[in-house]
This record gives sequence, structure tokens and C-alpha cells, in this order.
Amino acid sequence: MTDADTDKDRSESEDDSDKIEVLFFKSDTCAFCPRAEEVLRTTLEDFGADMFKVIVYNVSKEPEKAEEYGVFALPTIIIGGMSVTGIPEPEIIMKMILGSRLGTRS
Amino acid sequence: MSQYQIERVKTGIPGLDELIEGGFPRGDTILIAGKAGTGKSILATQFLYRGAVDYGEPGVLVTLEEPPRLIKRNMMRFGMDLDKLEKEGLLSIVDLSPARPTPLNIGEYPSFDLSGLEAIIMHHVKKIDAKRVVIDTISILAYKFKTRDILREELFKLCAHITEQGCTLLLTSEIPAQDTGLGVFDIEAFLASGVIVLYNEKISDTSRSRSIEVLKLRGSKHSPRIHSMRITDEGIRVWPGEISPGT
Repeated sequence: MTDADTDKDRSESEDDSDKIEVLFFKSDTCAFCPRAEEVLRTTLEDFGADMFKVIVYNVSKEPEKAEEYGVFALPTIIIGGMSVTGIPEPEIIMKMILGSRLGTRS
Repeated sequence: MSQYQIERVKTGIPGLDELIEGGFPRGDTILIAGKAGTGKSILATQFLYRGAVDYGEPGVLVTLEEPPRLIKRNMMRFGMDLDKLEKEGLLSIVDLSPARPTPLNIGEYPSFDLSGLEAIIMHHVKKIDAKRVVIDTISILAYKFKTRDILREELFKLCAHITEQGCTLLLTSEIPAQDTGLGVFDIEAFLASGVIVLYNEKISDTSRSRSIEVLKLRGSKHSPRIHSMRITDEGIRVWPGEISPGT
């Protein structure tokens, strides 16, 4: 699983192009975010860490990203054009991953 | 008699200031409620436009329903050029309307806050040092989120954080067609220290009449009557003292 928390890490490398992009939105004040991130990362690890590229946006520092994706509530996870709000159940993350894989198959 | 003077913010709606001791108390949260088509968005946008042009107070318009290009087009009818204000740094429009493509939400768990929305709004407020903020319309939040308890609490916090920055905040709330309340949340009245209701009632088979009522405004002596209101070529205008027909 590659992590991209800073701008310089976010540039697409050849290795990342096949990976499923997972966006995680959090803030400095969001009380539920640490737990949601834990559930997310554990679920992605169970699936297979190398399949994913996780990008974490802290909207306290990058509010433009919240606006770009229309994210009102935190925590929010976006995978393959779908989003989930709050501390998710692992099953729904799996649904989003499968949905994104189906969507990318040609 | 108390010597304490509340600092007031002119509404920019001709005739309205006379009904509310000269303007909204600065830093208050005011709810503008009304059924569809009663003029809430026009009033709220006019509050921002006149605030910027007449009183030098920059404003932020958060649109959750109408796309900015339609708002701009509709306000040009009144000679209010929102594009120009944006370029001059006196207005910032936050486009959170459904016209923008966003991810499809497939799940909501009762463990979230609205710090995303707050971060977006405060970013714009700080960018132009805004003194006025409009959220049009909070009713959309009731359709976006299922967990009403969290939504109510988060809305309270959002309003408090915005007004703590010194901004006067206007929220518009849509009253559903058959409803007698103030909107879809059932706590809209408690969110705000002031409530203004707009009406556009049928007075005969062929005509309607617009009117406005200041239902409450804490800290102010306000007129208890329903007053006539019209949408003129220059925007909304209130005729204080002229009692609306049909009342």
C-alpha cells in the first residue's frame, strides 16, 4: 500500500497506475477520524496492501480538497466514485473496492 | 433605560431595517424561512451584494442548491453583478450545488461531523475577510444526511464557529408546501437568534401577494406585523407599515 500524505509523494509513478486509489478525508478536530482510518487501513491490509494507493487529505490544511470533492462530513472515504461517511464497517469498504474494480475492467 | 447599543448590520433590503431597529445584530444567525418561490435566495444574495457595495463588507455565498451561474444570471436582472464583486474580492461563492459531480454516497454511519463543510466555508471567509455569510439552503442538508441528531448538533456548532469569526450569518430554509413549520429540520427556529418568514399567498384566483414577517429577533424591538414586500427591478423591497392584503 503506498501512502501519499504530502505533495511530493502524490505524483503518479508507474507502479501506482494499476493501484486502486483510496481517498481518506479527515480534519484536525474530527473525533471519529482516527478510528475510521484504522478500520480502513486494516481492511485494505486484509485485501492485499499492494493493491491500493491511499491518499489522506487533512481538510484543516487543505480545505480546497474538501470543496473539490464536495466533502461536507468527516470522516469520508472515497473509492471508485463512491463514498462512505462515518466510521465504516469493513464490508462496505469491500463493496466499494469491488465496485471500483468492476468499473475499471475493460 | 440601558445605554448599551447593539452594533447592527444593515440588511441592504430597503424597508426592512426600519422593522428591526436598524439592522441585524452583528454576529447573529438569522433564519430566512419560506415556501418555494417566496424570494429567500434573492433576499439572502441581496444582503451580501448590498453589504459589499454599499457598506464595504465582503461576503461568502454558500450555495447548496442553485449553481452559481444561475444565481449570477438571476441577480443580473436586478442590476447586481456578482461576477464583478468576485473579481474585486468582495464576494466568494462556494459551489456545493448538485450540478457539480460528486461521488455517490453509499453509506452513512452515525459517527461523523461537519468539519468538512466548516473547513470549506472558513477557507473562503478568511480568504476575503468576509463579514457576511449566507448558506442557501440548509434544507438540502436534511436530504443529504440521514442522522438528524448529529446533523442538528453539527449545524449548531457550524453556525457558532462562523459567527465567532465576527460574521453575520443568514441561513435560508425551505418550508415544504403543506407545512406550517419553519422548514425540514424542526429545529430551525432554535438555530437562529432571528427568524424572518417570507410569504407569497394566494389572495384571489388570479393573484398572489408577497409579504414578510419578523417572527423573532433577540435583542431587538421588532415589528410584530406582516408587511408588504415586492420584487422590484432593483431587488426586494419592503413597505413597512403597509399591511399585506390577505392578513
